[in-house]
Amino acid sequence: MSLNVKAIRKQFGTRQILNSVDFEVQPHDIHAIVGVSGSGKSTILRIIAGLETTDGGDVLWNNKSLLNIPAHKRRVTMLSQSALLFPHLTVGENVTLATRSRSRKQAEEWLQVVRLGDRYDAEIHELSGGEQQRVSLARALAAEPELLLLDEPFTNLDPKLKVDLQRFIRDLVKELKLTAILVTHDREEAMLMADRVTLLESGEVTRTGTVEQLYDTAPGFGDFVMLEGELRPLAEVEVSETAGEPVQLMKKIYRFGQCFGEYHFEDGRSVMLSTEESFQIGMMYRIKRKEG
Amino acid sequence: MIRQVLIISLVLIPFVSLFLAIPAIEFENREAIFHSIGLIVLLSAINVWLATAFAWWLLWTESKWRYILEWLVFLPLFIPMLATLFGLYLILAEAGLIGTYIGVSLGLLVVTLPYSIRLAYNGMAVIGRPLLEQARLLPMRRRFVYVLFPLFSRTMRTIALFTTVILLSQFALIQLIGAGLIPTVTTELYQSYAGNNLSLALSNTWMLIFFPVLIYFLLSGWSRWMVRMLKGRLQ
Repeated sequence: MSLNVKAIRKQFGTRQILNSVDFEVQPHDIHAIVGVSGSGKSTILRIIAGLETTDGGDVLWNNKSLLNIPAHKRRVTMLSQSALLFPHLTVGENVTLATRSRSRKQAEEWLQVVRLGDRYDAEIHELSGGEQQRVSLARALAAEPELLLLDEPFTNLDPKLKVDLQRFIRDLVKELKLTAILVTHDREEAMLMADRVTLLESGEVTRTGTVEQLYDTAPGFGDFVMLEGELRPLAEVEVSETAGEPVQLMKKIYRFGQCFGEYHFEDGRSVMLSTEESFQIGMMYRIKRKEG
Repeated sequence: MIRQVLIISLVLIPFVSLFLAIPAIEFENREAIFHSIGLIVLLSAINVWLATAFAWWLLWTESKWRYILEWLVFLPLFIPMLATLFGLYLILAEAGLIGTYIGVSLGLLVVTLPYSIRLAYNGMAVIGRPLLEQARLLPMRRRFVYVLFPLFSRTMRTIALFTTVILLSQFALIQLIGAGLIPTVTTELYQSYAGNNLSLALSNTWMLIFFPVLIYFLLSGWSRWMVRMLKGRLQ
């Protein structure tokens, strides 16, 4: 089941937030919408969720318009920056409430999935930020959504937890064959989690494509690297063992059968580049312009 | 500490004087009690219902009329009550509702509703828009029963109490629109003052205090029991 966002427009007061936004989300994909603050990316999610109206355009789910369907009937759930758990309910009650048959058993199963199976009776304030976000994920999944909306859900987490949860959610979405839209300002996060990416700038789509396509072609997608005294997009550089500026490979991330490496310069900058698996973590390499 | 004692003394002074004489044990006009209880229950329920619905609409609407409507609804808060009352009297007289239970109920509703909407709107703002948005993704019945009611029950109780207190303070409105035909505890109280019967006046005054206190405890107990019962259904 695919989602089609067609020529959506939205204005708040005199400010045009979205200006004819078009993109398509493929079934079972994680689709990232990447843009800076104020680019309108969260507004798109809110429109899809039914929490905001549009001034024009349409949102089609399986070729049927979602716009006239109330939020609670859309089979869409949303995970936000804050966990937004209901404070008067326990962990388990929050999840049970979201299950379609109000079943404790199902809620317990979802809590097991997010590795919080033993916290059913815990109060919300007893949980850490990361645990609360996992409960929020369990609640979102317990509703058996067809579409999962992720509105910068990793923003308030510490770096270690952030990476863990990013991977955890990506694996889970893939395992459950869900379709998800991730809104983020963090291009690295989009690259790690998404199958396809839409770049948004001042309420307009500047580019849409797979992560690989954008990584290779979109100017500005991915970090820039100072090389030979000039700022260059990552797509123009490569790692070798022989010549160029020295960097150290800190970690490898495998995605889509391709290996990405996170390299650190001595001055603290870091970049991500696709690389060969044979490179060793912790060793010094050279970063240089791509041949040709 | 002295400042706190002074403030508390100021608040409590009127109540201390109520213990200086012995009240009559019985309240003569039972009809007035029934009318008062009826009006309190009816108007509290209508106020909670209308105020919650309007505040919910105010919270989410993107209508360009929002600010004008909000301003119009809260306007009576800034207008002297007698002005509202006189305007209301003329309209209800035209509709033939003076001296009727419906007329008095409508009059009291007009007076209490702006306060109730303000309370409901502030109550929702305290819960917070993001949390209420999460609730909007739940099926409608679950949203109201398991989320809005427990989170909003204190505000509902405050609305009911405010309605009760305003209603019991409205002598002029009930007397004018009720045309002396709808006796309530308040109108009886004024008559006992006029008759210089201190013991009866005290008895009526205690009745005035008794109603809000009773409602406070009843509503507190009921809402706590309801929330516990609802949470039990999620176990």
